[in-house]
Amino acid sequence: MTSEYVIEMNHIRKEFPGIVANDDITLQLKKGEIHALLGENGAGKSTLMSVLFGLYQPEAGTIKKDGVEVKINNPNDATALGIGMVHQHFKLIEVFTVLDNIILGAETTKMGFLQKKEARRKVIELSEKYGLKVDVDAKVEDITVGMQQRVEILKMLYRDNDILIFDEPTAVLTPQEIDELMEIMRGFAKEGKSILFITHKLNEIMAVSDRVTVLRKGKYIGTVNTKDTNKQELSNMMVGRPVQLEINKDDADPADVVLNVEGLTVPSKIHKNDAVKDVSFNVRKGEIVCIAGIDGNGQTELIHGLTGLEKATAGKIEICGQDVSRASIRKRSQAGMSHIPEDRHKHGLVLGFTLEQNLVLQKYMEPQFQNHGFIKFDEVRKYADKLIEDYDVRSGQGPVTVARSMSGGNQQKAIIARELDRDEPLIVAVQPTRGLDVGAIEHIHKQLIEERDKGKAILLVSLELDEVLGLSDRILVLYEGEIVGELDPKKTNPQELGLYMSGALRKGKEAEQC
Amino acid sequence: MVFLIQQTLLFAVPLMIVALAGVCAERSGVINLALEGIMIFGAFIGVLFIRTMQEMNLFDKEQGQILMILALFVAAICGSIFSLLLAFSAINLKADQTIGGTALNMLAPAIVLFLIVMIAQQNTIGMVKGGAASWFMLRPSSFGLPKDYSWGFLIDILINKVYLSTYICIIVFVIVSVILYKTKFGLRLRSCGENPQAADSLGINVFKMRYAGVMLSGFLAGMGGFNYALTTAGCTSNGDVAGYGFLALAVMIFGNWTPINIAAGGLIFGLFKCIASTYATLDINGDGIYMLSEIGISPYVYRMLPYVITLVVLAFTSKSSRVPKAEGIPYDKGQR
Amino acid sequence: MLRLDPETGKQKWYTTDGAKSVLSAIISILIGMAVGMIIIVIVGLTKDNISAKGIWEGVRLVFLGVFSTGRESGALTFGFNPVNMGNMLFRATPLIMTGLSVAVAFKTGLFNIGAAGQYLMGTMGTLTVGLTLGNTDCPVLIAWIAAFLTGVILGGFWGAIPGIFKAYLNINEVITCIMTNWIAANLVTWWFDAHDIFKNSAEGGKVGYIIPLKNVGVVTPKMGTDVLFPGSQANGGIWIACIIAVAMLILLNKTTFGYELKACGSNRHAAKYAGINDKKNIILSMVISGALAAGGASLYYLSGNTEFFWSTYMSLPSEGFNGIPVALLAANNPVAVIFTGIFMSMLNVAGMQLKYLTAYNEYIADIIIAVIVYLSAFSMFIKQLLNGREKKKGGNK
Repeated sequence: MTSEYVIEMNHIRKEFPGIVANDDITLQLKKGEIHALLGENGAGKSTLMSVLFGLYQPEAGTIKKDGVEVKINNPNDATALGIGMVHQHFKLIEVFTVLDNIILGAETTKMGFLQKKEARRKVIELSEKYGLKVDVDAKVEDITVGMQQRVEILKMLYRDNDILIFDEPTAVLTPQEIDELMEIMRGFAKEGKSILFITHKLNEIMAVSDRVTVLRKGKYIGTVNTKDTNKQELSNMMVGRPVQLEINKDDADPADVVLNVEGLTVPSKIHKNDAVKDVSFNVRKGEIVCIAGIDGNGQTELIHGLTGLEKATAGKIEICGQDVSRASIRKRSQAGMSHIPEDRHKHGLVLGFTLEQNLVLQKYMEPQFQNHGFIKFDEVRKYADKLIEDYDVRSGQGPVTVARSMSGGNQQKAIIARELDRDEPLIVAVQPTRGLDVGAIEHIHKQLIEERDKGKAILLVSLELDEVLGLSDRILVLYEGEIVGELDPKKTNPQELGLYMSGALRKGKEAEQC
Repeated sequence: MVFLIQQTLLFAVPLMIVALAGVCAERSGVINLALEGIMIFGAFIGVLFIRTMQEMNLFDKEQGQILMILALFVAAICGSIFSLLLAFSAINLKADQTIGGTALNMLAPAIVLFLIVMIAQQNTIGMVKGGAASWFMLRPSSFGLPKDYSWGFLIDILINKVYLSTYICIIVFVIVSVILYKTKFGLRLRSCGENPQAADSLGINVFKMRYAGVMLSGFLAGMGGFNYALTTAGCTSNGDVAGYGFLALAVMIFGNWTPINIAAGGLIFGLFKCIASTYATLDINGDGIYMLSEIGISPYVYRMLPYVITLVVLAFTSKSSRVPKAEGIPYDKGQR
Repeated sequence: MLRLDPETGKQKWYTTDGAKSVLSAIISILIGMAVGMIIIVIVGLTKDNISAKGIWEGVRLVFLGVFSTGRESGALTFGFNPVNMGNMLFRATPLIMTGLSVAVAFKTGLFNIGAAGQYLMGTMGTLTVGLTLGNTDCPVLIAWIAAFLTGVILGGFWGAIPGIFKAYLNINEVITCIMTNWIAANLVTWWFDAHDIFKNSAEGGKVGYIIPLKNVGVVTPKMGTDVLFPGSQANGGIWIACIIAVAMLILLNKTTFGYELKACGSNRHAAKYAGINDKKNIILSMVISGALAAGGASLYYLSGNTEFFWSTYMSLPSEGFNGIPVALLAANNPVAVIFTGIFMSMLNVAGMQLKYLTAYNEYIADIIIAVIVYLSAFSMFIKQLLNGREKKKGGNK
């Protein structure tokens, strides 16, 4: 019996303590197609794919391969069925070589001893056949992110998989690398391999997929042919209501310089070179300046150097005219800087503390909250209640909720409440909307614009092109630790921005073109 | 000189094999702080086994080597079983591995001393008859040769008045090192200590591999424990291995979690131990002058040195040291 | 690493979680004692020289050791025994202090397994200064304070080493603590080996011991313990330990300093982000921790009649490690440490009673303590069971 579909997932249900991650979801994959799976963060895409890959067992529903019902208990079963997956966070052993990573779990052995010769030949063959250039003897920790992704793809091919799952594969790639990847995906499809492509980026879906299945909040919304739909319709399906793709705001009215950075250089923790090289810029009252760039081009280090989380080796930083280049983190923040950090679990919150303890994290030592080193618990509670009210932070037990138990959106709200309420002239916001749903994103965008209109200077770091173009008044593009371009969001477009982000264009060359 | 080399080997081999025990566990992702405890347990079991066999008159002096080899493996197997306690709490219950290891380090001497006192009404047990040297030491007579026979300098170092167990441990050390680096099992084991999520996604059973790592670790530590009791304590057990397990941890770190460096580290640390315990009677170049004791450095300085060196090494290599990335972190399938 | 409970001040939440901590501690204790009992029974059954009556006596002594008043016409008698009670408090003193040491470090996210080494350094400092000043005209009170402080300062310094390694080089404190333990063991032995004046050669048969401080008169006053527990070794040290415990509770829960320490312990990165000097706090926490452990040694030896076996290079003092179960059972609450410290000490007293009154020996107490530590390692798991919501397994089957 042959079926039209190579893989059918019917009425899948998967629960986790407290939430239903997948509720009656159906997904049908045709042979030789590129099928996109679209949904917001937390819509259940990754869970569904983990079920298909045997990492989770569903509570209900069936999986069919070529029309025959199968049970996938673990990744070994999935591999046996020809299913392979490139995970969003690469599953690579950094201290192993590329070859060891590829054969791990599918080793050829003789009396228990590894036989790598044959494996090496096969890997090199595959890499040549599909144009997936890798250095088989290099250690994974020494190769680029792009090559790491090629290693992940080779892992699937080495196992002779013909159903390939790509989980958010473009997040770490430059626009050029994205194009290459799409070309490779098309090649696989032409060969008869079937591809599941998980993403929340509409442009990529329109560019490469044949059909799209949309999930929202763990539920199945529908499947459409890509050529019969458009971005607006897809985004409405994804969010469940008409979404404004544009951000509304008035023109900026920048005034005095609040933050001035000159020649900032920050060393890298990963490699020997500097992660941020001789960067200079300023941010003025009443404007949003956005640092754009592909992830890993020095954004984190730039912000760490700016806020004092890491030591800069050179450069001058002034906040409101005060030189803080050598100042401690606290001195800098008292000089007039709030900081909404990139990683809310690592830096933003003490997850083991309660909400109220987190809300005074920047203020506990002020006379308002302490007397001779003893904390005034009443004042802390009063202040927490006020912030919770003003910023609509929702949690199970109010001020005494343990931060760990709060939802991601409310955790972020708490951080934003804490930082905005400090009312400092400079706000550094690093990926403030990462991992949040569209409603929360819209809300945060609105708040940032309000702060700007109140005359705050805002430095925004974002990886999302739409956010960069929609929110900012000025764009600085960071490429390999250098500012390679300053763009006006009203006069540029994603294509041009992409060229800067990939290092193809630079300030100097731009001058030539003019 | 012969004496110095032999003594160094005597101290170094238990260190090496127990440090490798640490590597097996940590490469699989479980911190094994319980090496000391497992050694104590292994030492006790080995001695108890020999004692029991002697009481039952199953072996006599001529079969000493067989008895010793049996005891070595019984100790190793029991060390492996004892380490299951660590594996269970660390792997199944996702408990804090440091505390689990500490508990085992407290449990082993408690149980062992309790039993020793119950058995012998004193704080130490030894063999029922004969001594470790007369029963188990290799000497010309073991090969049917006259007592004062000499094979010449080199061979004397290697086989006169040494214990066979030392060589068994060296062989086991080599075998385990090869397993770790040249086999499928080793590759998979090491992957679990670096990135268990990745291993899991490739169909490797992280729980099983970690159990294997911990049990292998217990096996080696138990073996090392008995080897210590046999060679340095004259086949007695008193609920103590004088911090050898912790010193082995130092060797493991010093050796950067790799067998070859551990072998080197074990030899260096063994030399210090050896100097410390024999410095007063040590005549390095055979000229009748006890050089080291005349320098006047306290033996406690030599004993202290391995720990101080480890601290210094840690201080200088902290940036580049290759600690298995996932060690100490319980693997939770839900988190990915 | 460990559960670090947030102090909220809100009563409702606090009591429920506190209650759970107490309950999980009690469960650990009960299982530990059950294991001890089972061992007593099994060993009793296999040994010919222990009768059923002997087994029953052993079991009773494990639970009621402190109330034992000896034997009368062949049967065990129980009742208020001031000597046992006093000795229990006396032995609890160092345990409370090392327990506090471990607990304070835990609050800052550090596992101070180096209490043993810090304890030895405290021993060395206190004995050396106490014996030296005791032989001069120095007033006893000044000598006492000087001896105590020297011990505490040396311990604090010893604790600072792993702290500095952790703060500046990010090296796991467990490893450095183990190293410093053994360095201390050799250092202390070396020191006393080289200074014969401290060795107790005057009293016959006392080979390898240091002169007890009572010989020079530098001794902690009884502070009423001689009235309450006549004939026992108890002294004012226990009150001092209790006062220190309360001070630690206030420091950790009511001050900005405590807030900073806990922030560093719970999330070092976030603390740093908020402008808290994480390095300073980690080192300070280890200094306090080391000082507390050393203070335990100081109070123990300042009791006067305790003698220190100086050739300790092969072994570490058990008080250092027993601080771990004391802190774990107390869920790192400084005041609870007083009670768990006394409990641990009670087990030790029970062990001694077993040794003197039955065919069993004192090591059964160590077994019980070790089992309790083992169980504490997964106190989280026990608490989850208490909550009745066993975590669903995400994976196979």
